[in-house]
Amino acid sequence: MLVSEIDMITPSSLSECLTQLSKEGRKHRLIAGGTDAVVRMKEGKWRPEIWINIKNLKELRYIEESKDFIHIGPLATHTDITHSPLLQRKADVLVDAAGEVGATQMQKMGTIGGNIGTASPAGDTLPALYVLGALLELTSLKNKRIVPIQEFIIGPGRTVLKENEMITKILIKPQRQNEKGIFQKLGPRKAQSISIVNVAISLTMDQDRKCVEGKIAFGSVAPTIIRARKCESMLTLGPLNDELIQNIAKIAWKEVMPISDGRATAAYRRDMASALLERGLYRLIRRWENQ
Amino acid sequence: MSTKWVGKRVKRIDGPEKVTGELKYMTDYQFDDMVWGKVLRSEYPHAKINSIDIEEAKNLHGVICVLTHKDIPGFNGFGIVVPDQPVLCSDVVRCTGDAVALVAAETLEIAEQALSLIKVDYEPLEVVADAEYALTESAPKLHPDGNLHSHVKIKNGNIEQAFEEADIIVENTFYSPRQMHAFIETEGGWGIMDDEGFLTIRCPGQYAYRDRMQIARSLAYNAERIRVISSPIGGAFGGKDEITVQIYLALLALHTNGRPVKIHLSREESVIAGIKRHPFKVCMKTAAKKDGTLLANQVKAIGDTGAYASLGGAVIALAIEHSCGPYKIPNVDLEGFCVYTNNGISGAFRGFGVNQVCMGIETHMDMIAEKLGMDPIELRKKNVYHQGEVSSVGHIVKSSVGTYKTLEMAENCDLWKNREKYKSEVCEPWKKRGVSLATSFHGIGMGIGLPDYGAASIELLPDGKFLVGVGCEEIGGGNSTVYAQVAAEMLKCDISNIRIVQGDTKNTLDGGTVTASRSTYTGGRAVAAAAPKMTELLNQTAAEMLNLPAASVDLRPNHISADGQIIPYKSIYEHLYEKHQSTRVEGHFYLPKEKEEIKGSGGAPHHLYGYLTHVVMVEVDTLTGETDVLRVVSIPDAGKVINPQGLEGQAEGGAVMGIGYTLFEDVLIENGYHKTRNFTDYIIPTIRETPLIETFPVEEPEQSGPFGAKGIGEVVMIPIIAAIMSAIYDATGARICHLPATPERVFNALKDLKNQKVQSTR
Repeated sequence: MLVSEIDMITPSSLSECLTQLSKEGRKHRLIAGGTDAVVRMKEGKWRPEIWINIKNLKELRYIEESKDFIHIGPLATHTDITHSPLLQRKADVLVDAAGEVGATQMQKMGTIGGNIGTASPAGDTLPALYVLGALLELTSLKNKRIVPIQEFIIGPGRTVLKENEMITKILIKPQRQNEKGIFQKLGPRKAQSISIVNVAISLTMDQDRKCVEGKIAFGSVAPTIIRARKCESMLTLGPLNDELIQNIAKIAWKEVMPISDGRATAAYRRDMASALLERGLYRLIRRWENQ
Repeated sequence: MSTKWVGKRVKRIDGPEKVTGELKYMTDYQFDDMVWGKVLRSEYPHAKINSIDIEEAKNLHGVICVLTHKDIPGFNGFGIVVPDQPVLCSDVVRCTGDAVALVAAETLEIAEQALSLIKVDYEPLEVVADAEYALTESAPKLHPDGNLHSHVKIKNGNIEQAFEEADIIVENTFYSPRQMHAFIETEGGWGIMDDEGFLTIRCPGQYAYRDRMQIARSLAYNAERIRVISSPIGGAFGGKDEITVQIYLALLALHTNGRPVKIHLSREESVIAGIKRHPFKVCMKTAAKKDGTLLANQVKAIGDTGAYASLGGAVIALAIEHSCGPYKIPNVDLEGFCVYTNNGISGAFRGFGVNQVCMGIETHMDMIAEKLGMDPIELRKKNVYHQGEVSSVGHIVKSSVGTYKTLEMAENCDLWKNREKYKSEVCEPWKKRGVSLATSFHGIGMGIGLPDYGAASIELLPDGKFLVGVGCEEIGGGNSTVYAQVAAEMLKCDISNIRIVQGDTKNTLDGGTVTASRSTYTGGRAVAAAAPKMTELLNQTAAEMLNLPAASVDLRPNHISADGQIIPYKSIYEHLYEKHQSTRVEGHFYLPKEKEEIKGSGGAPHHLYGYLTHVVMVEVDTLTGETDVLRVVSIPDAGKVINPQGLEGQAEGGAVMGIGYTLFEDVLIENGYHKTRNFTDYIIPTIRETPLIETFPVEEPEQSGPFGAKGIGEVVMIPIIAAIMSAIYDATGARICHLPATPERVFNALKDLKNQKVQSTR
């Protein structure tokens, strides 16, 4: 398929979009911000017959709160997320992560739905969504289902999304009053970089540096995002002083299974899982104490 | 001397249109009747070509022509020194950047499709992936004379005896990366042949006249019938010194029936086909006495020049000439090898070999200082050569030398004086800071063996303004503003009355390259040579017009004054025009050179050098190995500074490029294939990696230069490399001798250090 032969249609509503998606016998693909899609088209990897352009579907771009959940439209951009006062208060870890995606231009164009759909092991918002227990609403013309994010992604670039489905909502559990999060990223440089390792942490804190409950998710160290259950279970062993932080961090390398690529070796990635967790926990405690 | 323009912070004359984006670079243009050219690159890093079948490609609808080596009318080769690179390969390919065929088509997409329809029958050959392996008996020969392209040697004194007598010896091996120029405008341009067979090539390059010569040789075409326009350039840094696509454009233009043909490499193609900086392995052994006097230096440098020579021989020669730093070391044994491999093509790049050796000698200076308990500045001051003294390579340095002054300035700068305070200001326990400095130098101009000259023209225009023509292109560094400043100064006019044309074989004289830190010096001096002739022309004409003796006519700001009358330049033009007299003058000069070449050195010494000292502060995250350069002080000796603002631009850009070289950048090639393919995985510094950079010039005027100026375009990125390496050591105790110092390399060095400590306490 040549680029010049690809058609593009721009549905004006969600239902029109779902109707388009339901059409069989042709290859189509959604395009929103295009920060992944255009690159892959140029590389020859994504050459559908039709692009379904959803960039301007306003009804899918929102950030709202209901009784139990925060609802994020899949077309919310990373900039929408970093600028949202609601998320700043109740999902700081996601705000942190969205602010580390690529660079300003990509944050303005790229959408959270796209970051999820691309399902890159290095996707920066994904670990944050894991610790926030994100649920995804997948909709087709005739059906609607809710899938937890850890069940949605099945491998690098592979998801359970069907040809006729799209992500129509992201539900996250708001952080509690005494819950604080942080996102740490190690890339080959500070801006415009793909993660070598990243980690999202969210801790529910009590008095005296005591952690009641904590969640930790690593990116870029396995085929999918990894929840570090062993480390999580140690968070509550005692006050999170420097010694306990270091001990927890030392365990992290056991929970990851990275590979070597052009950006780093597997051995370094393993070491960095520990390093980022240590740095992240230290900084998070500081944030907690300084708030 | 009081000046109105020279030495002042004059705004870039090309600034507004570049900042607003109004300026169109050559590759920005599109034309209605244009066609697209594409180059078929080799599939293999090393292979025999059995056959090339273009039939199917030719028959694709929308294809205008498909060309192979059979369609080259003249010589099938190019290369600045040795033309050993085929324009289009006929029998063998030696790297994946090699060109095998050309296509012109109605659209870019059709051209790309046509490339995929060309069937080349290759027979893969063993790949030479390593420069040291290339020198062994068992490696296949990539060129008829073998894999050693050049070998240079400088030997003075008695090195063996010196090592025996030395109190201290340091010895290390340094590895440096294959840096990419990463200019914003990738290689590209236009070719068009008119009805009369006059060929115009518009293609950013660093020497229009030489490009024209290389085009003419391949086309077997009268060079006078070819016009090359090579300026402005969207960045080059040496990467457009060699032919990029000019000959392809010319060949295609012969077959497009007068339609303009455009080639513009994608970034991916530029990564593979474009020239890169030579990766070096440098083994260095340096000896000193207890009091810090340097005794001896032994250097063996091997440079990977890739598949073709380009300027590789000259790069190695310059590296060896500079391998002892700006010091006087009596006993030296310096040897350089320029070696062919199948790893792309290496060639000219800002610094031209000096970067790779500076990191060695300057690291050794710091190691010696530390072992002797000496201050690193004191050690350097003790060993630098001064004007009139003998350098390490054994020649008397007659031109100005500013190293000592730059070291004094470094000693007194805030960052150095208060370094202990700044180092203690870390905000997290695992962060460590270090402050360090390094000094270096860089030859200006071509060195011995290559003719080196400058030329400029000044033309009086109908509106009374002056058109100053200089061959040296506006590469982005601001030389056009320098030329305007020199012309305005000498013609006593406002700078707005000066127009500049550069890099155009029709409108400028051959004045040599825009390389070798030479364009301010050479072009500036050429303008300064032409200006008095223009003054004379103006005065004489005015005198003639008024029937007065020439002596009573005077050049004043923006006009001629004679006998109480004011004569505007416009009327002088009209007078000359009516008389059918030329309104154009030329200035020529020959660059000063050393008389005798150091035997075996491949062109050393240079007559002129620019000098520079860098002081840097880094912060290392010892948890991850990330290095952050927080502050840079750049102290150049560029002679008299013609435009302080321009100098700062060079100093800042150079510092950032040096940071990239030291910490991030490397084009990875494995077994001849590029692992690095795009900017996604080639990491250059962004504004977030850009520290506070201060520039404090010491102005050590050079008698021979225009208003006392020298050159600075390259050395601005050199000592910072060694300074960052030493600052990492100062911060953490880990020495990194393999660049780039990526977080992973620094982290592993720190890990090794920890393990060593554990072992030694057991």
